[in-house]
Amino acid sequence: MPAPEVHHLFHAPIADHSFSADRSTLAVARDNNVELYHRSGNAFKLQDELRGHDKTITGVDIAPRSGRIVTCSQDRNAYVWEPSHNGEWKPTLVLLRINRAATGVRWCPNETKFAVGSGARIIAVCYFEEENDWWVSKHIKKPIRSTVTSVAWHPNSVLLAAGSTDGHARVFSSFVKGIDERPEPSVWGERLPFNTVCGEYLNPTAGWVHDVAFSPSGDALAFCSHDSSVTIVYPSGLEQPPQAVISIATQLLPFASLLWSSETELVAAGYDCGVYRLSGDANGWQLTGSLEEKKERPSMPEQREESALNMFRSMDLKGRSGGAAMDDTKLKTVHQNSINTVRSFQESGGQIRKISTGGVDGRVVVWDV
Amino acid sequence: MADFNWRTINIDALDPESAYNFDLSTLTPTVQPTSTQDVQTLNGQIRQLLRGGNAEGALRGGLENVPYGADEQGKVDRICLYLPAFPGPPHDVDNRMSQSNPPNRDVALTATHIQIRGSELCDTLMKYLYKGMGQGSNTAAHPSGNTGAGGRNLTPQATGGFTQASGRNFGGGEGGMSVFLSWHEKLVEMVGPGSIVRVMSDRRTV
Repeated sequence: MPAPEVHHLFHAPIADHSFSADRSTLAVARDNNVELYHRSGNAFKLQDELRGHDKTITGVDIAPRSGRIVTCSQDRNAYVWEPSHNGEWKPTLVLLRINRAATGVRWCPNETKFAVGSGARIIAVCYFEEENDWWVSKHIKKPIRSTVTSVAWHPNSVLLAAGSTDGHARVFSSFVKGIDERPEPSVWGERLPFNTVCGEYLNPTAGWVHDVAFSPSGDALAFCSHDSSVTIVYPSGLEQPPQAVISIATQLLPFASLLWSSETELVAAGYDCGVYRLSGDANGWQLTGSLEEKKERPSMPEQREESALNMFRSMDLKGRSGGAAMDDTKLKTVHQNSINTVRSFQESGGQIRKISTGGVDGRVVVWDV
Repeated sequence: MADFNWRTINIDALDPESAYNFDLSTLTPTVQPTSTQDVQTLNGQIRQLLRGGNAEGALRGGLENVPYGADEQGKVDRICLYLPAFPGPPHDVDNRMSQSNPPNRDVALTATHIQIRGSELCDTLMKYLYKGMGQGSNTAAHPSGNTGAGGRNLTPQATGGFTQASGRNFGGGEGGMSVFLSWHEKLVEMVGPGSIVRVMSDRRTV
């Protein structure tokens, strides 16, 4: 497996990152601004900065077809940035009408709406109203009891999954009359007015849900929670108990983000600073391994002669007796701090071939799956 | 109207949306309420098993029937019962700590240790360990404190003397904190940090 492509952008946490459709532009949230990097050769160079938010930006998403960027931040606002012909980005404020911070934002697959999760126990679904030339928001409130940590769209652009710190992952319908076409009946339900709860899932320990994701076909939902477990739900119809709810308790630290790479495989990453793979189907799932290669650090310089003098000298200077062999200032994983987001980078044939991860260490890494 | 002090109105109590009116207990997962009586009965059974020398059965019984729904007293009773069940650290740990403990019980409990499977049971065992570490004294007056030894009266010469420390505060179990720590080490080697995270994030406390 080829080595992952590491881009160490800066020494600050990256809350969220997103690539443009041709993967030549990378938008990275850095404190109060979004930095746009353009690919030149093998590296990314800083091209532009989107300033407008007053507080930390918590979510960035680039719409693949139209190229619009939506950002949301702890200042309770969201902006939609449109590219103009001279390269400038024009921000449009979106009135979310929330009174707490926004925690994450995602465009729906057909790019007519986006959903913003917030600490106000509300999901704001925003769409563009032509008559007023303005982005308006509709709120999904019940029955969310606590902060919404993540949102994910179903391929039909109507169903929305949300994970929350009340331990539940819920699937809502965000059908907006006039913007959406009536979706086809699916395992999640048939007639779905706005704010219908199509499913509410809890895992036994009720830990905070960090991330939710629909499978590529939309027939299954996975969520990862703070009790180091991943739960996958296979629903069977509205108002019916699900066909299967499979919960895998891992022995690693919790995952912060997950992504379906195919109908039977998930990649998840989190506080262990590494990317892991899980595979299975409606009958059972298991953790199959890590995307990291097990290598002894090849970049380490060759061992110096391990003499007694060196050993005692290092004990005196550094307080450890390992000498040159122990370099414990860096983690063995590629990311040196926890990973925040996993996004799809390259797909082919319905399967994701490459993913990108961004973390608290300021690195964006592209992996082969 | 002037004699009513408007500034004393608690506006948060009147606002249906505010955090003051948010009942946090609705966020916890539902647990079967177990009466203290049931817990006592089960404790009695476990005690029997322990006396009969069936340490594995006793441990398994305790791990499978967790008193999630019982009130604090029931839980405290359960953990005090368990302390005698952890008489010594598993066998292959540094022997400095285990010299005062009879070796045959060690072996039995290590065997038990290896036998218990199922990550649910391991998580429950971890929960008991943390509860025990936090249990500083017999009375519920000092519940968990900052460290496990917070409730004990540390005498000045208690440094190396954990094994000789009196079992007064632990309802008869000798060893105390070092026992828990060594069990904890073994358990983490077996199941990894995931179970510690589950103990911390699970709202059902033991």
